[in-house]
Amino acid sequence: MDTVTGASSLVRALEDAGCEVVFGIPGGAILPAYDPLLDSAKIRHVLVRHEQGAGHAASGYAQATGRVGVCVATSGPGATNLVTPLADAYMDSVPVVAITGQVNRSVIGTDAFQEADIRSICLPITKHAFQVTEPEDIPAVIAEAFALAAGGRPGPVLVDIPKDVLSATTTYTPALPVHTPKVTPAANEVRRAATLITSASRPVFYIGGGVVRAGAAAELRTLAERTGIPVVTTLMARGAFPDSHRQHLGMPGMHGTVPAVAALQQSDLLIALGTRFDDRVTGVLDLFAPNAAVIHADIDPAEISKNRKADVAIVGDCKDVLVSLIAAVRQAPVLTSWWAYLDGLRDRFPLGYDWPADGKLAPQHVIERIGTLVGPEAIYTSGVGQHQMWAAQYVGYERPGSFINSGGLGTMGFAVPAAMGAQCGVPDRAVWAIDGDGCFQMTNQELVTCALEGIPIKVAVINNGNLGMVRQWQTLFYQGRYSNTGLSTHKRVPDFVALAEALGCAGLRCEEKSEVDDVILRAMEIRDRPVVIDFVVGEDAQVWPMVAAGTGNDEIMTVRDFKPLFDEDL
Amino acid sequence: MTRHVLSMVLHNVPGALARVVVLFSSRGVDVESLSLDPTERGDVSRMDVVVGLPAGRSPDQLVKQLSRLVDVKSVVAVADQARNQIGA
Ligand SMILES: Cc1ncc(C[n+]2csc(CCOP(=O)(O)OP(=O)(O)O)c2C)c(N)n1
Ligand SMILES: [Mg+2]
Repeated sequence: MDTVTGASSLVRALEDAGCEVVFGIPGGAILPAYDPLLDSAKIRHVLVRHEQGAGHAASGYAQATGRVGVCVATSGPGATNLVTPLADAYMDSVPVVAITGQVNRSVIGTDAFQEADIRSICLPITKHAFQVTEPEDIPAVIAEAFALAAGGRPGPVLVDIPKDVLSATTTYTPALPVHTPKVTPAANEVRRAATLITSASRPVFYIGGGVVRAGAAAELRTLAERTGIPVVTTLMARGAFPDSHRQHLGMPGMHGTVPAVAALQQSDLLIALGTRFDDRVTGVLDLFAPNAAVIHADIDPAEISKNRKADVAIVGDCKDVLVSLIAAVRQAPVLTSWWAYLDGLRDRFPLGYDWPADGKLAPQHVIERIGTLVGPEAIYTSGVGQHQMWAAQYVGYERPGSFINSGGLGTMGFAVPAAMGAQCGVPDRAVWAIDGDGCFQMTNQELVTCALEGIPIKVAVINNGNLGMVRQWQTLFYQGRYSNTGLSTHKRVPDFVALAEALGCAGLRCEEKSEVDDVILRAMEIRDRPVVIDFVVGEDAQVWPMVAAGTGNDEIMTVRDFKPLFDEDL
Repeated sequence: MTRHVLSMVLHNVPGALARVVVLFSSRGVDVESLSLDPTERGDVSRMDVVVGLPAGRSPDQLVKQLSRLVDVKSVVAVADQARNQIGA
């Protein structure tokens, strides 16, 4: 038991929790914590340029490493700037701990300078929120916050600490280990699932981000190969099963592949693991997989039967569930005609794109080449929009956690700070942010952080001159009336190359197909600073296939108005 | 609307009640009445809530969502009054 300040106690508690990096910005209320941070040999502080960047960086770090990501902000505006990344981490079940300074205990509730009731603001977007009222509680609260963020279904946890609690003298007593209760998958449900799997004729593994969070990719592969059952991976699960694997049909959902969507729609058994039947996957719920029985395994019992009633419900960590299923499934189902049908779709409706009529670069080609040249050992992040969907479709993912994006909340601006966080966690891997010209303008200031802190990320700006995804909807559903979606980025406002240089990065530009490989290879050779490539691409490229919002998955269109599953008798 | 009675035990800590109430509002649950009473153990309180749910929505999901909250020690739907129409 040592006599310390609350602030030192906080830093020691973070060290004891295994924290090696925090992303943050100081300010009045959190200032006491920054003093002992200067002396910590274990914790690196990365000084970001906006707290939103700190939050997404913590998320990127967490998703790249599987450890808890930590961000720090001061009270009031510092704390409220964390709201978006916390909501984002909540939706995507990412273990993040946010530490915020708060005004002194004596003035809480008086509208003091830079007071914001961040704990209340964050109620619906955090797993839990603490406000520390006694300095001696700090070690236990930090230990519990880490355990809560990582335990069960992961998610963000807020720890709000008044300034006078940080300044006070206290004693440091290391926290006792926090016990996280673990549920074992119920044996009878596993047996029922195994029976259904063995006797199904059109089964499909519907894999979600829970498999990535559980670190269960190897177990999934074992069970998939043992049973021969086709696999689809959602946006949050890209990489959980290798894209190069013969049994992989790709991503389902609004912009999924025809075989993946058809596999769900025609299925007689969905084996849904760590997934939540999100509307972007199901389309109109009543029309989703109408003839399928459902096995639903998730660590969060509240997800089971939330949107689609499960016939077999297994509560548990996906790794434990898969291990139990591997033991219980003794016989592979006969799937010859199911595969004949799916392979037929695969042959007839592969992913594909047209080159723009105006001679501009095809964005899909750029992204495909990045994936090929940079390879599957890298980590890719993306923003939100068309480029995100193309990044999900045209990069081949072979490893879990190699694609980090904002799925549930759809947060523009996620790519750059998430890449920064990921690179801090895995310095030996290449980290590429595939970003949109709109998204990039929301958070590119973190490139300053990257340049100064020696975080050599690469950013491929897919510059289509527009808020492309919104423009696509205007093309399809608003008669091409383009209200406020033009960004003028094709007029070089801003000039992304000059901007990159101004931010301390190398700036490259590519406008021709013949230059694409060269510029990617050149970027890969630059290691002393972050690199931004301005890929000037056509503005009319669209994301296909598409299930229009408000329609059923059977109405998937491979191009505008062509609905293979709906129109044809397959 | 159907009416359901939920009986909960909450940790007596600041913010626990707020979290429960926010869950009701985020999940579109009508609160008809709510009472919070101390128990003999000082560290927990008992909370009884009568909620209205859209017809066809069972209280199970709500019970599970409430159980996820760190400061909710227990929650049960005590009486299934699913057929008891509010305002009908
Ligand atoms: C913070 C935020 N604001 C608005 C939106 C709505 N939105 C979704 S995609 C998109 C366009 C993104 O543009 P860009 O980054 O250029 O990507 P593109 O679709 O052109 O590839 C917008 C505005 C959002 N998802 N997030
Ligand atoms: Mg764009």
